[in-house]
Amino acid sequence: MIVAHLDLDAFFAAVEELENPELRSKPLIVGGNPHGRGVVATANYEARRFGIHSAMSAAEALRRCPHAVFVTPRHTLYRDYSRAVWAVVREVVPTVERTGLDEGYLDVGEVASDFLAARAVAEAVQTAVRASTSLTCSLGVASCKVVAKVASDRRKPGGIVVVPAGSEAWFLAPFDVRRLPGIGPRAEERLRAAGIETIAALAALDDDGLKRLLPGSVGEMLRDRARGIDPRSLDLAAERISISVENTFERDLTDRERLHDELRRMAGELAKHLHDRGQTARTVTTKLRYADFSIRSRSTSLEVGIDDANRIAELACGLLDRGLHDRPGALRLVGVGVSGLAEYRQLTLIA
Amino acid sequence: MKITVRRDDLVQRLAVVSRAVSTRATVQILSGILLRSAGDDLQLAATDMELSLRTTVPAQIEGDGAVVVPGRRLVELAKLLPSEEVEIEHRPEESVVHVTSGSASYTLHTYNAEDFPRLPELDAVTTFTVDREALLETVNRVARSASRDESRPVLTGILARFEAGKLVMAATDSYRLSVKETELGGQVPELEAIIPARALQELTRIAQSGDEVELGVHENQVVFSVDGIAMTTRRIDGQFPNYRQLLPESFEHELALPRNELLDVVRRAAVMIERTSPLQLRFAEGELTVTARTHEVGESKESLPAPFTGDPLEIGFNADFLRDGLESVTGDEVRFKLISPLRPAVLQGESDDFTYLVMPIRLPG
Repeated sequence: MIVAHLDLDAFFAAVEELENPELRSKPLIVGGNPHGRGVVATANYEARRFGIHSAMSAAEALRRCPHAVFVTPRHTLYRDYSRAVWAVVREVVPTVERTGLDEGYLDVGEVASDFLAARAVAEAVQTAVRASTSLTCSLGVASCKVVAKVASDRRKPGGIVVVPAGSEAWFLAPFDVRRLPGIGPRAEERLRAAGIETIAALAALDDDGLKRLLPGSVGEMLRDRARGIDPRSLDLAAERISISVENTFERDLTDRERLHDELRRMAGELAKHLHDRGQTARTVTTKLRYADFSIRSRSTSLEVGIDDANRIAELACGLLDRGLHDRPGALRLVGVGVSGLAEYRQLTLIA
Repeated sequence: MKITVRRDDLVQRLAVVSRAVSTRATVQILSGILLRSAGDDLQLAATDMELSLRTTVPAQIEGDGAVVVPGRRLVELAKLLPSEEVEIEHRPEESVVHVTSGSASYTLHTYNAEDFPRLPELDAVTTFTVDREALLETVNRVARSASRDESRPVLTGILARFEAGKLVMAATDSYRLSVKETELGGQVPELEAIIPARALQELTRIAQSGDEVELGVHENQVVFSVDGIAMTTRRIDGQFPNYRQLLPESFEHELALPRNELLDVVRRAAVMIERTSPLQLRFAEGELTVTARTHEVGESKESLPAPFTGDPLEIGFNADFLRDGLESVTGDEVRFKLISPLRPAVLQGESDDFTYLVMPIRLPG
């Protein structure tokens, strides 16, 4: 398999710059209100020089760079650009798994027989994207997804990194474990506590050590990845049928307000996923797991798809209330899922 | 209390009140029908707390009393009783009613009438009358546009406004909007209420005869009386969207199209798609082409002549919404008014007293 991971460079910011060229020379931050609790969605490279990065609080970004220009995200616009990008990418590499508006995997093996040819394909993709949309992207080419993904991030912006077959583990070795896709904050913390800082150190863990630090099949999967082994093929049915988020509490919860807060937070996450994918969802499901581990779920379907965090939250909280009305009790987990996903959007008369 | 009643009267009246019997099992007594003696009448009542229905059946009654009987059961068995006469005997000490009719006899467990919710007063305010057909016609034209999404209560209602000589009703689920104005004879007070669409739809089923419907608008309730039946429904609190502001003042295109032909095209195309995926309408010089396409099923395409001029316009609509609109306008021709692919479209029929506005679907790519 030869796979490329494509990542558009500072996508939202780049689109804003194209729409308004005078922003190009300025530090530009796309995200929430810096005077409120907003976060940075994307910063252009000018802004990144001030140490500003995505997911940072917008207030912090403003502190680091008081003369930065802040703009609120215009998702509809980004979706349109994204569509244009993927349309040209498909002209060069027909088989593509989009994982977001601005990233995805390309089945380069279908059009290139070796890594030398693969580099040429990656260059062709870059050129085509730039020619048709004026956007730049970076690509990582490797024998598996995890390596391709790490590689695409190495020479941003506008870079191409090819990791030929056989050199995967060697390529990954020096990077911080945090860079390995699949390592979450909790795993990172446990690894660091045990002195494991690099991907190489994770790759070198023996079975006992691995079991102790990252028990279960997840541990083995992550160590495999650290060794450059990733059996995942392209998920072509990536037009996913549902998206869900859930959270297990440290202590069983009964407080309705806190449960609602939790659902609202999850609804926000789901809405962001939907925005990123340019989709709407028609069904919202709330999942409740009780202290005795039994699971109940309640769902509701709408006439037309939605992608709005408040609406999803409203429905999810209503479903939770219904579930708890039918069966009261402390909960150890709540989750929210959306399904009935579609690419088009029913416009509304009233917000 | 011992009630003797004609079976067919009982069946017919039970069918009416049973429409208010709660289908949710959470509060047991709401699944019951209240039977109460009132002189030579047997009163029947049911409520699901949002809607209540009351009516009477002529009967011979010995003794006074009231009891709540499981609603669905009573309705089902009344229909099947063998004799034309039915005897219902309430035995409070045993909490049962005995139902006998010819050779058949039943014992049904009952609920205590004191536990039945107090129904809204019927005659607390002044009332006025409205022509039954005019009222039902108005409801029927707009009700489909009301929302079924309980999380937005105001939109599950129909705005009813009575003003000098006319009744205006409007409903919107935020994707489409229906507005109907109906001339009324007689005197009506000026008033406005948001009434649950579900209740008004029930009214159209219940009010099968009679010339007029009597209305009483209370602070929290609306009472409809027709044909010996009283229906109360709660009013919905809140601010109904200012629909007049939502109606565009001018349009780029206005075309008259054969309504039934277009309706058939839309129905045929809708077979090809999922419930909510878009129909694509492409208007070009002299022609309208309706396309439906899904990954799973396939594609359909059909054209019909249309008096369209200018640059082609491509617009997407939810097939159900478009069909509803074409079905709710009247006349052989539909006037299709358009601005642009992302702006509302309006359908009107032979007269201007009805407007159906529908928001498009933004098509991908």
